[in-house]
Formats: sequence, structure tokens, C-alpha cells
Amino acid sequence: MTTPRRRPPLGVVVAAGVAVAFFALPLVGLVRRASWSTLADDLGSPDARSALGLSLVCSLSATALSVLFGMPLAWVLARVRFPGRAFVRGLVLLPLVLPPVVGGVALLSAFSRQGIVGGYLYDWFGIQLTFSTAGAVLAETFVALPFFVITVEAGLRSMDRRYEDVAATLGAARRVSFQRVTLPLVAPAVIAGAVLSWARALGEFGATITFAGNIVGKTQTLPLAVYLQLESNPDVAIALSLVLLVVSLTVIVSLRERWLGPS
Amino acid sequence: MHVPTDRRARPSPGPAGRAVAVVAALAFAMVGCSSDDSEASSGSSANPTTTTGSSATGAVTVSAAASLTEAFTTIKDDFTKANPKASVTINFGSSGQLATQIRSGAPADVAAFADQAPMATVGDANLLAAPARVFARNQLTIVTKPGNPRGIKGLADLATAGTISLCAQTAPCGKFADQALQSAGLTIPTGSVTRGPDVKATLSAVTEGDADAAIVYVTDATVAGKAVGTVAIPEAHNVVASYPIAVIKASDNPKAAQAFEDWVLGPEGQAVLRAAGFMAP
Amino acid sequence: MTLSVMTLSAHIALRLGTLDLGVEVDVGPGEVLALLGPNGAGKTTVLRTLAGLEGVDRGRITLGDQVLDDPTAGTFAPAERRPVGVVFQDHLLFPHLSVLDNVAFGPRARGATKAAARATAREWIDRVGLGDLAAARPAALSGGQAQRVALARALATEPGLLLLDEPLAALDAGTRATVRRDLRRHLAAFGGATVLVTHDPLDALALADHVAILEHGRVTQAGTITEVTSRPRTPYVAELIGVNLLRGHGEGHRVDLDDAGRGDGARTGDGALTTDGHGRRGHVSVAIADPASGPTLLLIRPQAIALHRSRPDTSARNQWRCDIAGFDLLGDHVRVRLTGGIDLVADVTPAAVAELGLTEGQPVWASVKATEITTYPQ
Repeated sequence: MTTPRRRPPLGVVVAAGVAVAFFALPLVGLVRRASWSTLADDLGSPDARSALGLSLVCSLSATALSVLFGMPLAWVLARVRFPGRAFVRGLVLLPLVLPPVVGGVALLSAFSRQGIVGGYLYDWFGIQLTFSTAGAVLAETFVALPFFVITVEAGLRSMDRRYEDVAATLGAARRVSFQRVTLPLVAPAVIAGAVLSWARALGEFGATITFAGNIVGKTQTLPLAVYLQLESNPDVAIALSLVLLVVSLTVIVSLRERWLGPS
Repeated sequence: MHVPTDRRARPSPGPAGRAVAVVAALAFAMVGCSSDDSEASSGSSANPTTTTGSSATGAVTVSAAASLTEAFTTIKDDFTKANPKASVTINFGSSGQLATQIRSGAPADVAAFADQAPMATVGDANLLAAPARVFARNQLTIVTKPGNPRGIKGLADLATAGTISLCAQTAPCGKFADQALQSAGLTIPTGSVTRGPDVKATLSAVTEGDADAAIVYVTDATVAGKAVGTVAIPEAHNVVASYPIAVIKASDNPKAAQAFEDWVLGPEGQAVLRAAGFMAP
Repeated sequence: MTLSVMTLSAHIALRLGTLDLGVEVDVGPGEVLALLGPNGAGKTTVLRTLAGLEGVDRGRITLGDQVLDDPTAGTFAPAERRPVGVVFQDHLLFPHLSVLDNVAFGPRARGATKAAARATAREWIDRVGLGDLAAARPAALSGGQAQRVALARALATEPGLLLLDEPLAALDAGTRATVRRDLRRHLAAFGGATVLVTHDPLDALALADHVAILEHGRVTQAGTITEVTSRPRTPYVAELIGVNLLRGHGEGHRVDLDDAGRGDGARTGDGALTTDGHGRRGHVSVAIADPASGPTLLLIRPQAIALHRSRPDTSARNQWRCDIAGFDLLGDHVRVRLTGGIDLVADVTPAAVAELGLTEGQPVWASVKATEITTYPQ
């Protein structure tokens, strides 16, 4: 005998409906506003192509850096007990709540030519991170890395640590155990973290424009291009926004299956 | 046969559900109402007011170009002192952006821009109560790091002086900077130019960031004081910006708006503008 | 194929949370020691220190001539450097690897080439009878199959010491019996030392040569199965075996029990209540065949107790009036729990229960012949 399905409470459905409308309406508006006939030309304009290419390069680089540095950090936070761990975790997650422009100002104070570290970088090595593509990558990494860390740390924590015990009793040294047991088991979290941080890096505006400036071909990523083109060339701006929209939707939809699907 | 005990008639919403329904209804009502009336959802309390004698009352929202930040903040304080029953809110930004906002229905009572062109777009959309009037003029200057470490002597040096900060072309100062450079027959390599959304952001790229020089208004250089070095742009290549001011037709408070415009054009306002470095209209 | 043949000698003292562990474990090659005890006794901790997943605070663990743990000498071999194989309770097969790669993991980790490791793995998988499941994922296996793969995986590295942590606990009753039989076969074939942790005495009975009882971090009894079951020393063991164990002071042919039991008073052989005038219980004395003196343990098998509705007219010198606390039907007999003067369990046939018309809470007379009582010093 099948059990009768309970209907979800009406209040919950209405609230959810309002939330959906809240998100759907602006996006529907954007799609309607777009100039579909000139879309290809708009996206093919030199500034648009430059912004698209730059965004791709910078966001992927930022993601790579987030994985490279985020992986050990997540591991330490999840596995090693040390004094002040909660504080360090709070520090790493700070960019999540910090307004991005503030993040940009903070990055300036550290890495501009007058900054704590930036001064030495410039005087000793002639390296200037501001107004450079590297600076844009730095700004994007600053905001994206916490997403990776928080996701992977959660994955490591929820993993059954006894598997690592098993690997040890079978003779696997720590590195081997990590590569052949831990990593495959947290792979879903690593992938989800990488995708989330990539999406965040792609959409970053405030820190990028403050730290790396707005230089066409060097630091004018998609979000900056949209912002600047909005009055002079709204069709291009909206076409670029649509690109961001489609990318984001794809990311979210594909992530949901991994993140919340049956393990 | 066992009858499931949890089967009921369609449940009534219950207190939580009813609350959500009310909220949802309100949300939709607000959406419905605000699409046409630009002033209905204004943040300021919309009391129709009258000026009794020379005293303005009520709230006035001013959309002003970023280069007017310091001068208009002083003017706002003076105006409010003289008109205690009035309250002024100023929204600073790039003139191009502000014009777009007003054309999209943003609630503003007065607009004060750094160029005629954006004001014209507002006028063309039939949103002005009366033709705009010029209340000040401004010119461009080059600003550098304090002490001018790169030894910039004029526009020509900008092409090889590292990263140059200019306003976006949609901001008047950006358009004017491009004009100035063009009139001198100069181009700065694209890879060396960073464009700021408004003149204050453009300036801060030099004062806070690593930009080596910027083209901003003379008034901005004055405000920055010792934080920058200044290099004048010769008259031949310089651009004179005319600053228009106008009352918006859809204003809730046209009397007070007009009073504010008059104040800016009057002796008190002009004195403040002159002190800040603006030229007479 | 050579298997290391080493003796395990372990003296383990450590504190972990509320557990204060102090045990000594010695197992020779080919021997199986069962570590039996209630939950929280410290069995798993012992296993983890032997495996190298925990270190001891004080003591020494050696396997053959390899020192695995010696705090005073500063030596500690972590798990990956010990020739130890472990079978965990929930099998813990790597979910992302096939059965073959699971079993090959150990040899590969210890330096074998992928091909050689897989060949070894295939041998072992065949040996546990799962040859056709080599390519399967652990999720597709039944509990019994998974546990067999776990055993193969542990043995594939040819360890000198095999540790099993409650290997049958996660299996259902039917599977348990089959796997136990298989395990017995494999353990017999294994040349190294084996330590088996379990709370099920059947496991100990079927698989082990020696058993050590662990209670509250201490070994309360150790020896062969026969020794332990014929002379239990603690209530836990007695309950495990299913016999009555009483403590008392021997006075020749009589043993005065220390604490006769709960209830409203002790009753003497003639059924009268004895109190000491303040309402406190007096002592019950038990008549025994062989004289005893000093602290004595008494073992009474449940089958040796006879129940009567009224005071029995037999030669049994031990007759106590008790109340029935409850019944348990165990297969073809009924275990009657008695309380009152003495707490006992008696085994009677269902027919007897019916005949006597026994019900819960009812008073009965329990009698035991002195010759049926085994005594030994505490």
C-alpha cells in the first residue's frame, strides 16, 4: 500500500514562489531588454571580445591559484588542531563578508607601490601588481579563494576519517594515502569548490577595479566592461551581461546535481 | 482497512502561511505600483510643500556631478541653515550615469551636471521643468604624485609616464580629457590608460593607488591639495566645461527645488563655487 | 608464499578520555586471542595501539624482534610501518575502488608494481571465494561478501599480526554464522598472530584459542576458552556464559554469601526472613560439597536449579524462597529469573513451567544440590 503524499504547507509554497519571482523577474527583464538582432555584432566588438578573453584568462588563473593554495589551507583547517584555528578560519573567510571595494582598498594597502609588501616588490624586483593583469588575478583570487576553502574544508570534515586509518594500516604513507584515498573521496567537494570560486572570480568587480584599475585589454574584465559600457553602449553591456547570466546559470545548475544529488 | 490518520482536507494556511501570503501580496503590489510613478516609491517623505516667504520646506534630492562633491556639500549646509525646514539629499556620481538614472525614472528634484550633453539627454526626454542654466565652469588639469617624481611637464609627457588615470568616456571629464589629448595630437597607449567611473575614482587612483598621473578638474586638484602635484594644461589644449543645473519636471517639491537652484546661482552659492576653484558661468 | 612468523608481546598503558587502560597481551604465531568485553572496556583502543593508530603512554609493544612502540626508548612505528593487517567492523572498503583494487591497495602501497599487486589480489580474492566479483564496487556487495573482501585485503600484505575489530558485528545473524565459519578456516591457515576483538562469546568460542576478558581497561580474566568458561571470575563473564556466579566467604562446608541480593530480606533455608533487628538483610549461607575457606566463588549452572511451588521435600540442603522476576524463552528451554534471597537464573523446560503454573511475581522455592555447586577461590 502506498502512503499518501503529504502536500507541502501552503505558506511554504507561497514564500518559495515569491523568492522565485524575486530572482526570475530581473533575469526575464534582462533577456527582454537584450538586442537579439545585434547580439553577435555586440559580442564581436573589439572591446567585448577583449573583455571576454580577459575574463576567461583571469578567472581560470584565479581558480587555479585558489585550488593550489586553498587545498593545503583547507586540509590544515580541517585536520590539524592548532591554537587560534578558529581565528585563522575567520580570517580566511573574511573576504566573504567584506565589501569587494573594501577588499580592493585592503589589497592596495598591502600590494601597491606604497604598500607593505608592494613597496619591496617594486623596489627590489621592479614588479608592479596594480594596473596589471596579474593584479586582476590577485584581486579575483582574494575573493574566490575563501569559497574554495570553505567548501573543501566541509568536505574533508564530513569524510569518514577511518578510511585514512585503513590506508595507514595497509602500509600507505601519508602522501600516498592523501592521493589515493582522501583526494578521491573529497573530489566532489573539490570540484564544487573550484566551480564556485571560478564563478565568484568571474563576477568580481569592486576589488578588481580598485586594485587593478580599468584598462582595456589588461584589466577590463566582463563586469567592468558592463559597468562602463552601460551608458555609452547599452546593447553591448547587456549582451555581455547575458553571457555572464548564461555562464552563472550553467554553473549553478550543474553544481546542484553534484552538491545535493545522491552520493 | 487501515485509514491513514494523516490524511486531511486541504489544509488552511495557518498563521505562518497567512503572514507569507500578506507579504507576497504586498510585494506584488509594490511592483505593480512603482512601474509608472517614479515618485511613488521615493525614499523621502513626499509632502507637497510651499515656500512661505523665502523659506523652502520639505525634502530636496539633488543629483550632482562628482566634481561638485565638496562645493555642493558646503552649499547644502548653507542652504539648510537658511532654510531650516528643508532637508537636502545629494546623490553624487558621473553625470552620464546620473542622466541615465533620471531618464530611467530615478527620483531627483534637481540635476547639476558637469557637461551640457547629459543634461540635453534629460531635456530631450522632456523631463526638465524649465531649460537648464549654467552655474559654473571648470577646466582640466594634470595631477601627479606629490613632488611630480616622473617630471611631467605637459600632456605630451603622459604618453610615457606609466599608468595614466582618466575618466570613462561617458563621464564628462573623460570626454574632455580625450578632447584635450586629441587637440594636442596625442594618444596614450591603451595599455597604460585606466578609466575610472567618475572623477573622484579617477583622482583616487593617483592619491590612493599606483597611477602615475590623472587628468581631472582644476577643482579636484584644489581639493586634493598636498596629496597631489599639479601640472597645468595650456589654454590652447584645455577644455572649458560648462556646468548646467535644472529642476526636474516630475519633482515632488518643485518650489524647494527651484529655491535650491536659485541658491546655487545666487551670491551665496557662487561664492562657495568660486572658493572651490570653479570659474564664473 | 612466506608469512612472517612472529610473536606479539604487548604491554599497554594509556589514558584516553575517561578510559584508563592497562593490559598485557601475548600472542604466539598461529595463535588467535579473543579480546572479549563490554562496550567501553577499551578493546578497540587496544587494537588501535597494536595497529599503530594510537601510541601508548607507558609500556612496550614488540612483534618478533621489531619494536613497534617504546616511549622510554622514544621508538614509535606508525601504522604504515608495521607489518599489521586490520579488518575493521564496517569493512571500510574504499568506495571509489573496485574489489580488486581494494585488495591490491596494500601490496601496491608497500611497493609492488600495479601488475604484481593485482595478481596477488586476484589470488586472495579467489581464496575467499569471490573471484567473479573482482571488478565489482563495494556498494554492490552484500555485508558478508564485503567482510570477506576486507579480510582478503588485510591478508594480502602478508602481515605478521592480524587484527580484527568486531568483524561480524555488522552482519545479520544468518550471514554471521557463515562468515564465522569461513573466518575460522582462514585464521587456521594464517601463520601469524591474531587478535580478535569481540563482544560476542560465540566468536571467541568458534575462532579463538585463548581469550582475555577486558573490563574497564583491565584484564579481569585470561586463559583458554575452557579455563574461562569453567571457572568464570567476574559477573560479566558469568553472564556471558550464562551461569550463576556468587561470591562469599567459605567456612568449611558452608559459604556465607557477601551480598545475597536485593529484595526485602534474606530468607534462610527454612524460609524465615532474617534481619538484624534494624531491618537490614542478613546473610544467606550455601551448603557445598567440598570444603572451602576464605574468599570463594560459587558456580551454579542454571540447569542445576529445580523449582517447586511449595517447600520441597528433597535431600537438597539448599532451598531458597524466591520470587520470579521474569521469563525468557530460549530455544527449547525457559530461563527463569529469580530474585529475593538470592538473584539466580534457572533453566526449566516449558512443560515444567506449565505444570507448576509459574507466573511473574509468584513466589517459588528453588533448590540446588550441594554436589551441583562448583567452588573455587576468588
